[in-house]
Amino acid sequence: MTTLFLALIYFLAAPLVGAFLAGVDRKLTSRLQGRVGPPLWQPVFDVMKLLEKENLVVRRSQNFYIVYYLILVIFTGGLFFTGKDMLLVIFALTLASIFFVLAGYKASSPYSFIGAQRELLQIVAYEPAVLLAAIGFYMATGTFNVAAIAQTPRMLVLVLPGIFLSFLYILAIKMRKSPFDLSTSHHAHQELVKGITTEFSGQTLAMIEIAHWYETVFVLGMVYLFFAKSIAIGLIATVMVYFLIIFVDNAFARVKWELALASSWIVAFIFGAGNIVWLFVLGRSS
Amino acid sequence: MTLKRSPWIIHYDGSSCNGCDIEVLACLTPVFDVERLGIINTGNPKHADIFVITGSINEQNKDVVLNIYHQMPEPKVVVAVGICASSGGIFAECYNVAGGVGKIIPVDVYVLGCAARPEAIIDGIIKGVGILDEKRKKLISIHKGFEELVIQQADAFDAVEILWLQKLANQSEAELYHDFSFAPLLQTLDQVWEDFEKQVFLKAVIDKKIVGSIRAYQEGDLCRMSRLIIHPVYQGLGIAKRLLASVENMFPQARRLEIAVSHRNKRLIYFYKKLGYQLSRREKVTEKVDRLFFEKTVAEKDHD
Repeated sequence: MTTLFLALIYFLAAPLVGAFLAGVDRKLTSRLQGRVGPPLWQPVFDVMKLLEKENLVVRRSQNFYIVYYLILVIFTGGLFFTGKDMLLVIFALTLASIFFVLAGYKASSPYSFIGAQRELLQIVAYEPAVLLAAIGFYMATGTFNVAAIAQTPRMLVLVLPGIFLSFLYILAIKMRKSPFDLSTSHHAHQELVKGITTEFSGQTLAMIEIAHWYETVFVLGMVYLFFAKSIAIGLIATVMVYFLIIFVDNAFARVKWELALASSWIVAFIFGAGNIVWLFVLGRSS
Repeated sequence: MTLKRSPWIIHYDGSSCNGCDIEVLACLTPVFDVERLGIINTGNPKHADIFVITGSINEQNKDVVLNIYHQMPEPKVVVAVGICASSGGIFAECYNVAGGVGKIIPVDVYVLGCAARPEAIIDGIIKGVGILDEKRKKLISIHKGFEELVIQQADAFDAVEILWLQKLANQSEAELYHDFSFAPLLQTLDQVWEDFEKQVFLKAVIDKKIVGSIRAYQEGDLCRMSRLIIHPVYQGLGIAKRLLASVENMFPQARRLEIAVSHRNKRLIYFYKKLGYQLSRREKVTEKVDRLFFEKTVAEKDHD
């Protein structure tokens, strides 16, 4: 019963929180660039407008993949916030991204092809760090259950600093932020047109936007998990991480895909895997 | 309402000195910051609501402008910025310049100036936003119940408007296949008048404007229909379906209904099949084009 209740709260609140965060992002970005910026709820206005627009398609089936993408993203967050198995959460997330890539391929335009290929590369880039995070949580707490991990008496970031660092590094990919906004970007309105979302319009584009809100909330939930011992510290840390991502987004140029892939793997293996080896050695000696 | 708060623009610079082009970009800078009005410069016609175009139209960019325009989802608005986009400006006399944007696509707002000031451009875009909202309301009202739509028999006075519509509606198909020589585009006004003597014309009218038409005549128990035309903006709203149904009602003696379609027009073929029409024969028109005839049998109606 509580699971169902939690799932319902998540389902209704996550898009609101996501939209609010997206609005804060745009406002903050404008201020960093010396502009006034749009109203705080601009992302909501954008989505409402998209719902009223005509839905042009190259192939009708491209929109179905986006529907699956949205459902799976909601499912991912639902599993996470109701405290289910961490591995299942990660697999659902990967499946969601794969449906997004398929939608990009299905639209058969050169721009969305490049976007889809880049999205695939990004999945390859962030997947090791995400998996290592799950393994790290297991090694530190002895469980994959998200609810149990959240209730650990230890501050997990102190046990898993390397894992946290590697997760922080790939956060920009998941949030579609510079320097890793290769497949589609919030700002690059003229580069490779709009990457993987080029061929989507109207309601379907609105769905992608809403899925992105859910995704942002889920990813920040993962960040919170590292600080779950204290709610206050957890919330402050999550907000600070979000601001850091926005700051980095404005301060750095986009990198090439080779660097995005290589660097995120190197960070994941040095800090993430290093952290796990360290925990392993610690576990043996004690 | 939200349309007003989030107009996304696509900007294209035709043949100009780039002065207006630079001024459009100046609107995005911190000094003018149009994002505070929710305006975003997208590079993608499929995401855009407002088509901001600077510079005149020449033989080379004609196709590009048309292409961008057709790829934008409805409702959409065109804003012509600067004197070149309005009338051709100082380039008007050039051998390769067709003139202003209005020559090839319908323009909603003209922003004058050489170069147009950023303030004027923002003003023009805001004006365009208002028109965008009107267009949306119109689209919604057409979607809802069709209270405005009337189907009537047309007379010879409508010939000019129907011919204009016929050419407009067939434009996109002609562009798609780079074949501007097919019959609906070449028909003259005299030929349409000739058709009026032999056939019955129906017109679909919204707000005194003809947005669709079809013509038909009976031969034995066969009712032959041709030239089903729908205004591009009003396609996909069920107007064609109502026109076909009206023809059916007009010829209660006809047992069979027939209509022809080019074999390349997959959308229309799908549409006829869905309405219960079946392929009856195939005819060669030119090297590349076949004409398909679709037929539907009508059940005997009770007349008591």
